[in-house]
Amino acid sequence: MIKPVIYAVALRNLLGHLRRTMLTVGAIAVGLSALIFLWSFNDGLHRNMLQNFQDAIIGSIQIHHEGFFERPELSRHLRNPDKIITTVEQAGVKRWSRRLEAFALAASDETTEGVMLIGMEADREPVITDLGKRISIGRFLREDDEYACILGATTARNLKLGLGDPVVMIGYDRFGALVAEEFTLVGIITSGEMGLDRGMALTNIKSLQEMLDMPDGVTDIVLRTPEDRIQQLTDELIFALSDENVEVMPWSTMFPVMHEWIILHDGFLYLFLAVVLFIVLAGELNTMLLSMLERTREFGIFMAIGTERYEIGLMLVFEALFIGLAGTLLGIVFGTGIVLVTHSTGIDLSILLGSTSRFYVDSLVYPHLNLDHLGTTVGAILIASIIAGLYPAWKASRLQPVEAMRNV
Amino acid sequence: MIQPDNSSAIITVKKLHKCYWVGSMPFPALNGVNLSIDRGEFAVLAGRSGSGKSTLLNVIGALESADNGEVIVNGENILGMNHTERTLFRLHNIGFVFQSFNLIRVLSARENIAYVCQLQGMDKKESEGIADHWLNEVDMGHLGYRRPDQLSGGQQQRVAVARALATNPKIVLADEPTANLDTQTGQRLMCLLQQLNDKFGTTFLISSHDPDVKNAARRLIKLADGQVVRKWEKIPPAPPPISKACPIKNLPLAGRIRQFLRKKRKRPSKTGEKGPTPRRS
Ligand SMILES: Nc1ncnc2c1ncn2[C@@H]1O[C@H](COP(=O)(O)OP(=O)(O)OP(=O)(O)O)[C@@H](O)[C@H]1O
Ligand SMILES: [Mg+2]
Repeated sequence: MIKPVIYAVALRNLLGHLRRTMLTVGAIAVGLSALIFLWSFNDGLHRNMLQNFQDAIIGSIQIHHEGFFERPELSRHLRNPDKIITTVEQAGVKRWSRRLEAFALAASDETTEGVMLIGMEADREPVITDLGKRISIGRFLREDDEYACILGATTARNLKLGLGDPVVMIGYDRFGALVAEEFTLVGIITSGEMGLDRGMALTNIKSLQEMLDMPDGVTDIVLRTPEDRIQQLTDELIFALSDENVEVMPWSTMFPVMHEWIILHDGFLYLFLAVVLFIVLAGELNTMLLSMLERTREFGIFMAIGTERYEIGLMLVFEALFIGLAGTLLGIVFGTGIVLVTHSTGIDLSILLGSTSRFYVDSLVYPHLNLDHLGTTVGAILIASIIAGLYPAWKASRLQPVEAMRNV
Repeated sequence: MIQPDNSSAIITVKKLHKCYWVGSMPFPALNGVNLSIDRGEFAVLAGRSGSGKSTLLNVIGALESADNGEVIVNGENILGMNHTERTLFRLHNIGFVFQSFNLIRVLSARENIAYVCQLQGMDKKESEGIADHWLNEVDMGHLGYRRPDQLSGGQQQRVAVARALATNPKIVLADEPTANLDTQTGQRLMCLLQQLNDKFGTTFLISSHDPDVKNAARRLIKLADGQVVRKWEKIPPAPPPISKACPIKNLPLAGRIRQFLRKKRKRPSKTGEKGPTPRRS
C-alpha cells in the first residue's frame, strides 16, 4: 500500500522547484517535437518522392514474362495477359494498364538516338502515371492516334525535332527481322528527371503492335496501388500467378537504389533519435541527480521522521515519471501541431534547393505523421526519461539518515 | 524522588559501545554507556563537544546502529532491528527535534506536521486537524500556512516540536535544539518543552551544552569520552502551573526564580513533590 502523501510531496517538490521542473519538461518537449517534426518531414518527403517516382513511369508493381526485366526481349512477351488482368482485378486492383516495350533507334533527318519505345493504352495510362501532366509542348496520346509519338525534351532536342515533325523508329520484331515505321511527334515531355527526358519514346500500344506485327502483344502489365499495400499485393499475385511463368515486381525490386536510399534516410533518423534520447537522458539524469544531491539533507529528515526507503525512492520515481509524461505530452502537442500546420501549408524547398523538382521531390513538401514512427519516438523518450529517474531514486533510497543529515 | 526503577524505565542502555571508523582508524564515540530514563522524565544530556551526545541520541532514536551493548526503548530491542523496522519504530515511538533545518522546505508548517500523521496512516483531513491542534499548542496557529523559509529560526523549532509530538510519540529526542537560536528564543523553546512535558507526560531527552538548557533540566546526565560520568538529579521547584507562571513573554528563568522565592516563603516543605503525570500514552 502506497501512501498518497508520498505523491503529494513529490508533486510539491516539482512545484517547489518550478523553474527546474519546467526547464526539464521543456527540454524533453523540444527534443520530442523536433523529432516528431523531422520524422514527419522525412516521411512526407519519401511519400512525395515515391508517389512521383511511381507516377512518373514505373507504377507500383509490374508483371512481366519471367526474365523480361533482366533482358527485355520481345520473345519474352506475356503469354496470357487477359488471364493476368482477371487475376489482378480479382485482387481488387482497378488501376492497371498494358504496355508493349521494345528498343528502337529514333531517327530524324539529322541524326539518330537509341530509345525505349513504349506502347501505351492512351485511355488507361493516366490512371497509372501522370505522364500527361509532364507534357510541356503538344499533347498526350489519344486513343485514336495512329503512329503518334511523344519524346523526352532532351531526345527531341538532340534529334532537332519540333512538334508535327516526322520521326522514324527502326527496330527488330520478335524474330529478329528489322522493322521501321514513321511516327509524328505530337508531344514533348519535360520532367527534369533524366530517365524521362532522355532515351524514351511513347506511342499508342496499337501502333506499336502493328509495327512489330504482334497483335495483342503485351510485355508489361503495370499496376498502381497505395504504398502500404504493395508488399502484400505482390505476395498475393505471385501466389495467384504461380503457374503463369511471370515475374511480379514491386518498384523496390526494380529500382533497389531508391529503396535503399529511403532506408538510409530512415537510418539517419534513427541515429538522430538516439542522439536526442541521449541528450534527454543525460539532461534529465543531471537534473534529477542535482536535485537529489541538493536534497540529501532533507531525505535524511524524511527518513528520520519515519519515511521508508521505498517511499523515498517512489517519490523520486514519481517526480521523474511526471517530468517525463509532461514533457512527452507537451512534445506530442507541439510536434503534431507543427506537423499539422506545415501539412496544410506545405514546406517550400525551393528556397533550399533552388530550382523546382529534383529527384522526384516536389518543391512543396507536405510533412506526414506516421503513427508507427510517432509511437516509436514517444515510447523511446518516455522510457528514457523514466530510466533517468530510476538511478537517482535508487541512490536516494540507499541513504543512511544520519549521514544524509550531516550533509549540508 | 525520581528513582530509576526498571519497571518504569522507558529507555535502558547497557554497556553501549560504538566506534566510528575513518579508514582503518577507529574513533570510539561511546565507551560503555549505562543509562536508564523513566517515563515522563525531562532529562538533559550534557558534555563537551565530541563527548558522544549526538551519537547516543541517534542510537537511542534508532537512527544509527551500535557495535555492542543493549538498548531497550519502550520495551523493544533497538539494536536487533533491520532498516525498515527501525524506520517504523521511529515513526511510531520517537519524535525528533534537530539542531536546524528540521522541516521539509516545500511543505508549509501545517503540512510538515500533517505529513508525519499521514505517514502513520491518517487521512488528510484528520491529520490537518491534528496539525492545527499542535500548531496552537506551540503558539504557532496563526503561521501554519507559511513555508519554513518564511519563518524565523525559533518559529521553525516550534513547528519541529509540534511535528515531533503530533505522532503521539513515547519519547522526544532533541539534539541541541537551541544551538542555532539566540539566548532568549532558546529559553522560550526550553520553557515550551517543559510545559509539554508537564501537560502530556512525554519523555524528553535533550542534548545540549547550553547552560540555560542545563538549568531547565530536571535531570542532568553528563557524558565525557563516550561514558556517563555523572547523573545529577535536581530537586527542582514544582513546575509552575502552565501558562500563568511561565508565560512565553516572560523570561522563564526569572519567572521561575520569582515563583520559587514566593513559594519558599509560604510553604517551603511542599516544593518539588509533584512529578510529571502522563496523561496520554
Ligand atoms: N561520522 C563520523 N565519523 C567519524 N567520527 C565520528 C562521526 N560522528 C561522530 N564521530 C566522532 O564520535 C565522537 C562523538 O561525536 P558526537 O557527534 O556524538 O559528539 P557530540 O557530543 O554530539 O558533540 P557536539 O557537542 O559537538 O555535537 C567524536 O569524537 C566524533 O569525532
Ligand atoms: Mg552533537
